[in-house]
Amino acid sequence: MTDAVIETEGLTKRYGSTVAVDDLDLTVIGDEIYGFLGPNGAGKSTTIGMVMDYVRPTAGRVRVLGGDPRADAVEIHDRLGILPDRYDLYDGHTARQHLDFVIDTKRASDAPEQLLARVGLDDSSDQAVDTFSQGMEQRLALAMALVGDPELLVLDEPFTGLDPHGVRTVREIVHEENDRGAAVFFSSHVLGQVELVCDRVGILHHGRLVAQGTVDELRERTGVGADASIEEVFVSITDETAATDGRATEGR
Amino acid sequence: MRWSPLARKEARTVATSKGIWLLAVLLVPWGYRPSYVGWDGLGANITAGYVQLAGTGLLPLGVLLLSYQSIVGERTAGSLKFTLGLPLTRADVLLGTVVGRTVGIAGPVTLSFLVLAGIGLLDHGAFDPLPFLGVVLVTLLYVGVLVSIAVSVSAMVERTVTAAGAVFGLVFLPFIVFWSRLATVVFSAATGTAVNPFEPPASGPLFLLHRLNPGGAYHVVSNWVLGVGNSANTYSTVLSELQPQVSTNALVVEATFQPGAVPGYLHESVGLLVLLAWLVVPLGLARLVFSRGDVA
Repeated sequence: MTDAVIETEGLTKRYGSTVAVDDLDLTVIGDEIYGFLGPNGAGKSTTIGMVMDYVRPTAGRVRVLGGDPRADAVEIHDRLGILPDRYDLYDGHTARQHLDFVIDTKRASDAPEQLLARVGLDDSSDQAVDTFSQGMEQRLALAMALVGDPELLVLDEPFTGLDPHGVRTVREIVHEENDRGAAVFFSSHVLGQVELVCDRVGILHHGRLVAQGTVDELRERTGVGADASIEEVFVSITDETAATDGRATEGR
Repeated sequence: MRWSPLARKEARTVATSKGIWLLAVLLVPWGYRPSYVGWDGLGANITAGYVQLAGTGLLPLGVLLLSYQSIVGERTAGSLKFTLGLPLTRADVLLGTVVGRTVGIAGPVTLSFLVLAGIGLLDHGAFDPLPFLGVVLVTLLYVGVLVSIAVSVSAMVERTVTAAGAVFGLVFLPFIVFWSRLATVVFSAATGTAVNPFEPPASGPLFLLHRLNPGGAYHVVSNWVLGVGNSANTYSTVLSELQPQVSTNALVVEATFQPGAVPGYLHESVGLLVLLAWLVVPLGLARLVFSRGDVA
């Protein structure tokens, strides 16, 4: 399947005079793992918010799994799994109750125990989430995203709060899901992991997509050298953009 | 229904909170208020009247307090991102929350009413189960109305403190506590006639105004079930007002209007329509506001 699972055209979100996402054209296709990178505040979560219909675009268009995020929310969310950023779990509920809620709402047939085992929470299924560490919360949130074998996984900063074991678990699950046929769209500012996971990356800076391609392509483009780390590529691209922005402002 | 798992989750959230059980315990002494006038008017059925007293003042306050955080709390904490990431429309989220919270409150509150029934049985002997059941059902409908109002407010604001202020200052105080005074003032201002509530004029609009708030409509319908008289006040005040030589500030249709001269819109069944309107209209408004714009 190579149809676009996420497609944006001129997507823009303004909050008052602040532009969070600026004229974004982005396409994620159906069999890829797409890393959406950028510094904090670049507009990654706002973009994901528009994909999920948490927030509404000021201008432009976004299509998710061929539908409109607002009008077709039910159908889209049936086929998609989301791990949001800056969330809170449902206080007073156990891990299993969280999963049952998602499974029942999606009318899926997953077994909560299997999902918990996949994310390494086998021993905590009847524990209320109020006692969870940040890493355990993140694992549970990932398990909730996996319910119903979604065609598209949207993971907003999936490595947040995870120890190295957790980071590896996320990476393995992303690959497993992709092998199963799911597209994965994830945002991150933790760059070290990106090269190990992504087929393609897009770099967002001040709300604009400043580079897109495989990590190798970006390396070539920036001329930082073939053995440069992705951090160096990233810094080079965002610096270059900042300099261009500066010149543009001075020129006015 | 797509929203039934959400309703189950919401019911569990309320039913496992300390607040609802504190409310359930307090409702028993709050409702149990034996009175001579009540015994004279209702006999052993005064037990059903206790349920109405439990439903006056404390119950609305408790229900509003247990519901105002529902949507806005999840929104500010971020758990709404999970709920809205599921195959649910924003309207589904409102509906599931209202139904779930209502059920979660109705269960423990019904236990309080059963305890009141037990106390009444010991104190006053066997009562007629039908009016008792009737008042319980009307009270549970009233719980649903109050939940619907509070959840609607919760969905229309962006901060928890705004929701608390709005539910207390714009719903509880004017529409539950001070309504009869406000209604009199509004009527006087609109018609230019001063109203002495102890000797009210036989004015249909004045009486209607007094029963347009959720609490007034609840009293009209539950008084109807109890058979004490047609009024937006508590059953015991109504019974006092209808005694010869006694005058209260309660507006009771039978005490003011000549038989046969009562406007049709003052019939008790209209109280049910008023309650249903309070159930549906705020929720409709909240649906419009909540479905529009950004929520995270």
